[in-house]
Amino acid sequence: MPLDSSIYTLSALRLDGRRWNELRRINGQISTQQAADGSSYFEMGNTKIICTVNGPQEQKRGGGRDQSNEAKVEVEIGIAGFSGVDRKRRTRNDKRIQEMQYTISSAFQNTLFTHLYPHSTIAITLHVLSQDGSLLAACLNACTLALIDAGIPMSDYIAACTTGSMASYADKEDEADPLLDLNGSEEQELPFLTVGTSGGEDKVNVLIMETRVQMARLEAMISVGLDGCKQIRGILDGIVRAHGKKVLQSKVS
Amino acid sequence: MTSLKRSHASTTPTTTLSSKTYLRTLKSGKVQKIVRELYLRQDIPCSSQLCTACLDLAPAGFHRKTEPFVLSATPSGTKEYPEGHYLVPDTNAFLSAMDLFESEGGVFQDVIVLQTVLEEVKNRSLPLYNRLIALTKNEGKRFYVFFNDFRLETYVQREAGETINDRNDRAVRKGCAWYAEHLQQAVKARKSARCPAVVMLSDDKDCLRKAKKEGIKSSNLQDYVSGLPDADRLLDMVASAREQRVTKESKAELLYPDYLSISAMLTGVKNATLHQGIFNVSPYNYLEGTVNVPSFDRALIIQGRESSNRAVSGDVVVIEILPTDQWKAPSSKVIEEEDVGKNENAENEDDAPEGIVSEQERRALQEEVRKTHGRSTEGQSQPTAKVVGIIKRNWRQYVGHIDKDSVRSRAKESRAQQTVFLIPMDKRVPKIRVRTRQAGDLLGKRVLVSIDSWDRESRYPVGHFIRSLGELETKGAETEALLLEWDVQYRPFPKTVLDCLPAEGHDWKVPASLEDPGWQGRRDLRDLLVCSIDPPGCVDIDDALHAKQLPNGNFEVGVHIADVSHFVKPNNAMDKEASLRGTTVYLVDKRIDMLPMLLGTDLCSLKPYVERYAFSVIWEVNANADIVSSTFTKSVIRSREAFSYEAAQLRIDDRSQQDDLTNGMRQLMMLSKKLRAKRMAAGALNLASPEVRVEAESETSDPVDVKTKALLDTNQLVEEFMLLANISVAGKIYDAFPQTALLRRHAAPPKTNFEELSNQLKVKSGLELRTDSSKALADSLDICTDPNEPFFNTLIRILATRCMMSAEYFCSGTQAYPEFRHYGLASEIYTHFTSPIRRYADLEAHRQLAAAIDYETLDASLQSRSKLEAVCKNINVRHRNAQMAGRASVEYYVGQALKGRVLEEDGFVMKIFSNGFVVFVPRFGIEGLIRLRDMAGDGEREPDSLFDAENYFLEIKGEKVQRKVELFQKVKVKISDEAEESTGKRKIKLQLV
Ligand SMILES: [Zn+2]
Repeated sequence: MPLDSSIYTLSALRLDGRRWNELRRINGQISTQQAADGSSYFEMGNTKIICTVNGPQEQKRGGGRDQSNEAKVEVEIGIAGFSGVDRKRRTRNDKRIQEMQYTISSAFQNTLFTHLYPHSTIAITLHVLSQDGSLLAACLNACTLALIDAGIPMSDYIAACTTGSMASYADKEDEADPLLDLNGSEEQELPFLTVGTSGGEDKVNVLIMETRVQMARLEAMISVGLDGCKQIRGILDGIVRAHGKKVLQSKVS
Repeated sequence: MTSLKRSHASTTPTTTLSSKTYLRTLKSGKVQKIVRELYLRQDIPCSSQLCTACLDLAPAGFHRKTEPFVLSATPSGTKEYPEGHYLVPDTNAFLSAMDLFESEGGVFQDVIVLQTVLEEVKNRSLPLYNRLIALTKNEGKRFYVFFNDFRLETYVQREAGETINDRNDRAVRKGCAWYAEHLQQAVKARKSARCPAVVMLSDDKDCLRKAKKEGIKSSNLQDYVSGLPDADRLLDMVASAREQRVTKESKAELLYPDYLSISAMLTGVKNATLHQGIFNVSPYNYLEGTVNVPSFDRALIIQGRESSNRAVSGDVVVIEILPTDQWKAPSSKVIEEEDVGKNENAENEDDAPEGIVSEQERRALQEEVRKTHGRSTEGQSQPTAKVVGIIKRNWRQYVGHIDKDSVRSRAKESRAQQTVFLIPMDKRVPKIRVRTRQAGDLLGKRVLVSIDSWDRESRYPVGHFIRSLGELETKGAETEALLLEWDVQYRPFPKTVLDCLPAEGHDWKVPASLEDPGWQGRRDLRDLLVCSIDPPGCVDIDDALHAKQLPNGNFEVGVHIADVSHFVKPNNAMDKEASLRGTTVYLVDKRIDMLPMLLGTDLCSLKPYVERYAFSVIWEVNANADIVSSTFTKSVIRSREAFSYEAAQLRIDDRSQQDDLTNGMRQLMMLSKKLRAKRMAAGALNLASPEVRVEAESETSDPVDVKTKALLDTNQLVEEFMLLANISVAGKIYDAFPQTALLRRHAAPPKTNFEELSNQLKVKSGLELRTDSSKALADSLDICTDPNEPFFNTLIRILATRCMMSAEYFCSGTQAYPEFRHYGLASEIYTHFTSPIRRYADLEAHRQLAAAIDYETLDASLQSRSKLEAVCKNINVRHRNAQMAGRASVEYYVGQALKGRVLEEDGFVMKIFSNGFVVFVPRFGIEGLIRLRDMAGDGEREPDSLFDAENYFLEIKGEKVQRKVELFQKVKVKISDEAEESTGKRKIKLQLV
């Protein structure tokens, strides 16, 4: 039996050697697939995602014309069979995948300037190559990068991360330490939530929690999560700027 | 296509990334590959008080708390390390000598536990891991866990071709080297001269050699301990080192067959060619065990030492069914190890040419085969199996005494090392071979030992001494022995637990102001005429009752339970201690509390005349005792009186008392009788277990008499309402938390359990025992009577009780609703709610109920199924152990009460063997074995006998004694006590008159 997250009480160190407020290594690239309108590759620790964006393009489906005056954001997530510890196929109808798709699409629906593209669709496709926790957060971050690559105007980046709560850490309930950016094994043991913000920590776009946690711990979890989002926004920004510089350089030379 | 290669620059500056890959085999046999990131860092402190550099290293947690440094600046020294030393034990050191590390008295302090070692210990043994964790929390011992695998300088990457063990050994050495250097720098910075040594403890020769080469101070356990004061005592605690035996292996004969590999066992179990179960040894025959497996409805028999292949009672084993022609009938003979193996020599390991089965044992078993075969009873043989492997050892610490005959030199001064046999108190556990230098000292004492190993070349398991409990037969030693034997935590509550008590102590009061937060959500029930009814002298009063007639003719009945959950909050130190203890243990002269005294006997206890917090269940019932409505609420009550059962009975019976309180009790009595009648009609069982009470003179607390417990109507009054409350609460918490309600179930016993008893009844008394439902069983038990013998019915009930399954706590999500049923109470759903002072299950139920009525929010631990399952598992064991400890205590005191007396009493034959029979004496609740051998006089041989297993009788045809003993027969027995020769231990002896 390997050690579990209870070692935190011994050392204030997490299973992978991080402190409570540290993100895993984050790595991202932009324009990874030439064929798509926008694309990105994003890693949060061992969670690895490829994202492609196509559109905005005219809606082809349906007989009657779409009444809406704004673009629709359609999200499709494919989880590779080899991405998890157990090799298993997930069907597209998997409830959890559907819910993630919906969450991502509604988050971006409100952040992208969709009113600029009436009667059209923005299709986001996410391929999960490897999962090690914070899947939804990584997907959101990957989408942000790919949408920027596609040149779709948006009000701000959406940056997301997870926070957990170190259960039964201490005698007293309000002394439970919140943990930033959970990996897969932590997600299985601890209550956690995913938070996504735009404009640093100004506006919360996504806040999802599927596990139960004491009310008293929630505040600390959210405040650490907001801080994490801010850090991630900085990292995303760095990736975008580095990419921009590269593009400019290649144009100049 | 752009390359997706990862850029390594983007890591956080203070950490370096590495990764760890390992394979994990699941229970299903599936293999998983786990990849884990590792963030290596430099801010993990050394935690030595000598070091100033590390002080500002460790960043504070979210709550800005930092841990104080653990390791002393002036650790104790030894001859070899005069400037003091820190110990760095490797995994095997902990595995083989945990007792040593736990020993008090200034040794084994300032220990650095490396993460590598901690993880390996957890892999190898969860109980030892838990003990190690407990040590790290013991402030006096100063154990520090250093996370070497997370620190950049001490992290060791497994090299190609390197085994995990070698890698881990290397990690340990690297950790030592780093510490040594780090301390040197720290000392230099302080300009002090004394620099403690960092000493690696290991028994691995190769590792020690490498350590020496690398300049790391190291020692094996034996040498290290020899250099300590009190070395003799400590040395006994070192498990006899493996290497000593390795040298022997070449020449020693392998007595036992080898075990199958784990994967072979798992595959076998999966294919149903092998079976897995818990090995249980018969209390009457140490050479026979049984294993219950799901695919057979009857337990499989394992007979003989070779078949049981080093399994110890309680181990989880894998067995293989033998071919039909080797099947055996369950033994009908009493075989005790003390008799058969009396003259074996503990030291003869080297020159023992005999096989696993000694000549005497072979004879004992053969004789029986002959006897059973003589009667050609073909149908009697049952599936028989042999052990082919062990999934999990359930070895614990065993209490026992030294076999006097195995001690070579009895002189107290002799410090020569010798090997002796230890005979465990638990008859089902084989004797244990122990090497010691203090044999002379330990003779005649109760001692605690643990088993270290049982290798193929050794007939008996090998163990080591832990400590002596005191002289045999003394009250202190015997009480501690039975507490240890049943794993009852009896140490005083630690300070961390006492810190959780209310600061006001005994002065705590229900707040006077109704505005106080304590009153929030509580109903004021102080005007109700509440009283409690308990056994005489009860100080931890869990429950109180009231009843009054309502204007509409119905009754309001309330059960008020001590509000323990108000004082014990989830997950604090007190809660954890209570959850570990699980229950209060009642011994004859002693109570081992689950909660500190202050709560149990004062603040929570519903004492009379004072206001107390309570958790109340209030029903409106009609005159027929049908429930009209029920309410659950936290409340404040003031009990008017605390009655004993007798006093309450007298008050109710006394017609001249017409006050409201007494009338309320009469109403309760009337309703309880109706409830009871309804319950009985639904098929609740009225079971019996022999219960005796030991009367002690208070001052000396020496027992003076033994009485069977009398049952009054008031006992049943209280019981009925407690049952009703438990059932109501069970329904409520199940409604609120369908997945995680903590409930109690009692499974219906499988038919086969009753086969023997019902056959016995048919043959002996012409009675039929119907077992298709609890109702049928209850009814047929009612007619199992003998007009001439009133006790006969009770005897059958006692026997029937032993055929039952035991009730258990469970988490509702783990069972389907029909499985919730409580067979004995004939209730669909049940839980424990009414004794939160003395049972942890009740406390959890209180918390769930409080959440169900929206009084407070539910703690996470009570929402997690896995956590609740763990809680249930523990309290089930604790509950059982507490019962056994209580029984053992009564047994001991009955023995003491009978000391030096010779009595004649009525007894009943409960069980018949081919060479003896068991007699039950109702007056003392004791069961004793009478062997044929005992009937012969000194020097005479065992009388001849004829044993008829089908008709359950044993005819004794001795020269002097000639009589027939039948099952259920009433006999007169002479009870005396005699001191056993070999041990000086007192034993109750029964003789047929
Ligand atoms: Zn240091």
